[in-house]
Amino acid sequence: MTWQRETFKKIKQIPREEHVLPGTALCAGCGGLEALRLAAKVLGDDVVYVNAAGCFTMLAAYPFTPFKGSWLYTTMGSAPAGAQGVRDALDVLIAKGRLPKEEDLKVVVLGGDGSTYDMALSSTSGAITRKLDFYYFCYDNEAYGNTGAQLSPATPYGARTTTSPCSLQHPSGTTQEKKDIFEIWRAHKPPYIATVAPRYPLDLEEKFARAAKFTGPKLFLALSACPTGWLYDPGETPEVAKLAVETGLWPLKEAINGEVTHTYIPKRKPVEEYLKLQGRFRHLFEPTRQDDAIRHIQARVDEYWQQVKG
Amino acid sequence: MQAVRFHGRGGQGAKTASRILGTAAFLEGYQAQDSPIYGAERRGAPVAAFTRIAKEPIRERGLIARPDLVVIADASLIDDPAARVLDGIDERTAVFVNSSLTAEQLGAQTSHAGRLTTLDLTDIALQQFGKRGAISALLGAVAGRLVGLRRESIHEAIARELADFGLAAPVIERNQTVALQCYDAVRTVSVVAGAPQPIAPAQLQVPTYEPPTRGTARISAAANSVLRETGGWRTFRPVLVPDKCNGCWLCFAYCPDGVISMNKDDRPVIDYDHCKGCQICVHECPTEALVAEREKEGAVAWKAK
Repeated sequence: MTWQRETFKKIKQIPREEHVLPGTALCAGCGGLEALRLAAKVLGDDVVYVNAAGCFTMLAAYPFTPFKGSWLYTTMGSAPAGAQGVRDALDVLIAKGRLPKEEDLKVVVLGGDGSTYDMALSSTSGAITRKLDFYYFCYDNEAYGNTGAQLSPATPYGARTTTSPCSLQHPSGTTQEKKDIFEIWRAHKPPYIATVAPRYPLDLEEKFARAAKFTGPKLFLALSACPTGWLYDPGETPEVAKLAVETGLWPLKEAINGEVTHTYIPKRKPVEEYLKLQGRFRHLFEPTRQDDAIRHIQARVDEYWQQVKG
Repeated sequence: MQAVRFHGRGGQGAKTASRILGTAAFLEGYQAQDSPIYGAERRGAPVAAFTRIAKEPIRERGLIARPDLVVIADASLIDDPAARVLDGIDERTAVFVNSSLTAEQLGAQTSHAGRLTTLDLTDIALQQFGKRGAISALLGAVAGRLVGLRRESIHEAIARELADFGLAAPVIERNQTVALQCYDAVRTVSVVAGAPQPIAPAQLQVPTYEPPTRGTARISAAANSVLRETGGWRTFRPVLVPDKCNGCWLCFAYCPDGVISMNKDDRPVIDYDHCKGCQICVHECPTEALVAEREKEGAVAWKAK
C-alpha cells in the first residue's frame, strides 16, 4: 500500500504565514533552517521551543528571537529534560486553573545531531519512556557543525570532517557507519517518528500534521544539508537533499507505534551522484578514485532497501 | 614584526588566506603565526583571521588590535558595524579592499585614515574560475605582495594549503596561476612594520547577574530578529524576471530564511533587507525567472537598527 498524503496535496497548500522570522545568524542556505521553517508552518506560534546548544543556538542569539512564542536554551545533553519541566509546568498551571486549557502550548525540542545522537540520547530515551507529550526536531547535518564540522555519530562513512580527515591510515576519511537513531528511537515504540527532507515540503508538512493527532513523544529527523560543513555551494542545498533521497541514502519514512512505512520509494540513483556534489566526499574521487569506499557506501544502501522490500 | 588582519565573510577564504600568507613567510625563513577568530563561523557572516610575520620569535598572541595591513575580502564589511574592520586603523595602516572601485573612489566613499589599495578579486575569480567560491589563494597572494614576500613562496604556500582540502592538482594549479596574476596586478602600498600595540591590558568586565529569584537572562520581545538585517551578507542578489515566472511557489517553499512571499498574483516578493543571497531560489526556479546579479557596492547598505 502506498502512503497517501491527506492534508497537503498541492504546493500552494503550504501556509503563507511565517513563524520563524528572518534576521537569524544561521548560514546562508542552511538546510536545517529550511526544514524548521516548514515544520513551524504546521506547528504555529503557540509553541515553547527547548533548544539544545548547537547551530540553532544562533536562532535566538541575544537579544533577538525569530519566534513569536517562547524559546528556552539548554545544554546539549538536557533539552528533553528541559521539555519535561516546561510540560509539567504547563500541566500544573492548567490543573490549577491559572492557564486556560485552550491556551496550552506545544513543547518542541530542537537539537542537532551531536546532541540527538550523542549527548542527549539518554535524556531523550528517558523522556520517551515517560511518554512525555512533546515534539523532538533533530536537524541532522551529520557533524558537530556549529564548531566547524567535527565528527559526530551521525557522520556517514567516507565523509571528511575536521576530526576525521582523509589520511594515509584512513584514506576514506570517516571509518564509522552513521548511527541509526531512527531504530534506537523506534525501539522505544513512541507514537510517532518520521524522517523528513525539506526538499520534499509536502511530505514534511503532512508528517507534522499527522503527528499532531498523537499524544506523547513525536520525533522528527530532518535531513539538514549543510553548505558550510559539507562543502558545496549554498544554492545547491535542495539539490543535495534531493539526491540524498533519490539515491536512497536518506529514506523518507514514518513509524507509528513502532510500525514503519516508507512514505516515498526512490528509484535509487547511484550514490556517486550524491557524493560527487560535496567537498566532504571529494577525496573519494580525487586525486585517485577510491572505488572500494564508493562501492561500500552503495552496498550499504542496497542492503537497506532490500530489507525494506523483503 | 608585521601584523596582518584579514576580514571576510564565512566561505570566502579569509582564514585560508591567513594560512597561505603565514606558510609563505615561513618558507622564506621568517617566524610566522596565523590563526582565525574562534567562534561560530557562518557562511556569509563576518569572520577575521590574523597573521604575524617576524625575523625574531613572536611572543605576541591573540587578536591583532593594531594591524599594519588589513585585507578586506568583501567591501560590504566596511559598512557592517559587527565586523569592526576599521578598528585600530590609522594613517599608517595599509588597507587592501576587494572592490570594483579604485582606491580613490573608495577612499572618497569611506572616510577612514589608512592608505588604500583595491583590486576586484571577485570579478577575477568569476572570470577565471567561472563560478563564485573561495578566493583564499587570491587574497593570500595579494597580502603576500603587500608585505613583500616572493612569488615562489606564495606559489608553494598555495599548493600546500589547498592540498589540505583535498583539491585536485589542476584546480590548485589554476588557483596558483590566477593568484599570481593578482600578485602582479595589485597596486602596492608600503606596509610599515611594527605598529605600537596598546599597552594597557584589556579590562576584565565582570558581568553582574540578577539573583536567581529574579529569573535568568531573557528576551521579552517576540519575533524581533527582523530588526537585524542580513541583506549585507549577499555578494549576489536574486532578481525576478516577471515575464518568465510561472507562479509555481517553489522559491517560496525552499527559501530557508522565509524572505520570499507570494503576492496575490502568485509572484515572489523578495525581502532584500534580510535575503542572505544563498541562491537556492535561483537554482531551483524551473523557468529561470530568478537570476543572480552581483551586488554593487553601496547598494546594500547594512543598516543595523
